[in-house]
Amino acid sequence: MKNFLCLLLMAFVMACQSLPTIHPSGSGEIHFDCADPFTKHPYRFVHAIEARMPGDVRSSVIGITLVEPAGRFISCAIITAEGMTLWEAESSASGTIIHRALPPFDSARVSQNMLEDIKLVFLPPQGQLYQKGYLSDESKVCRYQEENGDWVDVKENKSGNVEIGLYSSSGALKRQILFKKIAKDIYQSIELQADAIFDYLLLMTLIDAQPIEQESKVNANID
Amino acid sequence: MLKKNYVRLFVFACLLGGLLLTAQNAVTADTHFEKLRLESAKIKTMQADFTQKKFMKILSRPLVSEGRFYYDAPDSFRWEYMTPLRSVVISRSNKTRRFIYSDGKMVEDKSGGAQGMQIVLNDVSGWISGRFDQNPSFNASITEGVNTTITLTPAEKNMAGFIQKIEIVLSPKTATVQSVKIIEDANTFTHIEFHNVQTNKIINPAVFQDVR
Repeated sequence: MKNFLCLLLMAFVMACQSLPTIHPSGSGEIHFDCADPFTKHPYRFVHAIEARMPGDVRSSVIGITLVEPAGRFISCAIITAEGMTLWEAESSASGTIIHRALPPFDSARVSQNMLEDIKLVFLPPQGQLYQKGYLSDESKVCRYQEENGDWVDVKENKSGNVEIGLYSSSGALKRQILFKKIAKDIYQSIELQADAIFDYLLLMTLIDAQPIEQESKVNANID
Repeated sequence: MLKKNYVRLFVFACLLGGLLLTAQNAVTADTHFEKLRLESAKIKTMQADFTQKKFMKILSRPLVSEGRFYYDAPDSFRWEYMTPLRSVVISRSNKTRRFIYSDGKMVEDKSGGAQGMQIVLNDVSGWISGRFDQNPSFNASITEGVNTTITLTPAEKNMAGFIQKIEIVLSPKTATVQSVKIIEDANTFTHIEFHNVQTNKIINPAVFQDVR
């Protein structure tokens, strides 16, 4: 009986999860460009990443991301402050390659989730624009539906900060990304909140950003 | 048949030659390591600044970190990064703790990362006290030249998967560690150089206890 009640409660909670409602502006007209925080050119970013996990466990690493938006190519690495490479992987249209994965990154699922998080931060949604309008807090939002049924909301709030929300096909919030508008570079300060079986918050602070020249990009990626 | 025997003989000769050479080197290396241990026994405390450069294929230029380290024999250690990511590892009486900069202050990293660092720091303490050949996880060899270079290669296959070798260069005058190069693979290595090295200068014990 107790289990049944738990299941019923879970079903009720799941049923309550839904995408935020989008409505037109007061005048009913929607005239704005969708927020576009994504890099347009090949770039290399180095971030200090603080991870906060349940139980107020905090740790920090350095993340290196090489993004080539045209080919949706991402190459990334996570290293400790002491210089040890914990994880190194790349993703492109032709698939994913994990070059190195030491604990706690040594499972295919963790690697895949990390690559998906990185793509969500740096690459625009692949899906079609589904809806455009305003949220109840007057943020401008553009909603995309991905091929797997997930929804991606790219929104700009009244103070100019850009946020990304990733929702499951049933409307459950999976990821929330906030690009803090504290400097000229939109990648200066990023917060990524994961709502999953294992919740975590990543606070990313930019250490270095370099545009990739064609020559160095080739040297960096293709041997 | 004859060809097969030649091959066997050749292989045997190579193996025997290899064994003799290794044995001869082992005797020489043991002497060198013993000499280093005697030299290093004079070091009671050590402190230095360091510059760490991380080289990777994904990086067009090395990622440079700077920090300071303190050592008090036999087992007190502080390894502190100032830039670009502030973090401190302190170790005293075999208890290692790691701190990170968060919300404007240093907070303890309880994710388990410090345990891994404890293993590394035990090795570093060993190197400072000249015990280069005492860790069974590595095979140690020594090359004498302008500088003395110790090369550590993983003894176990598991470790070889993520560290190919470690090269430690010693200062010719003081036999203290001048630089460390940790080679993960053909494209990935970390080079740490020590500067402003001071030995046998009294270090406040709070350095190994307090992180602010």
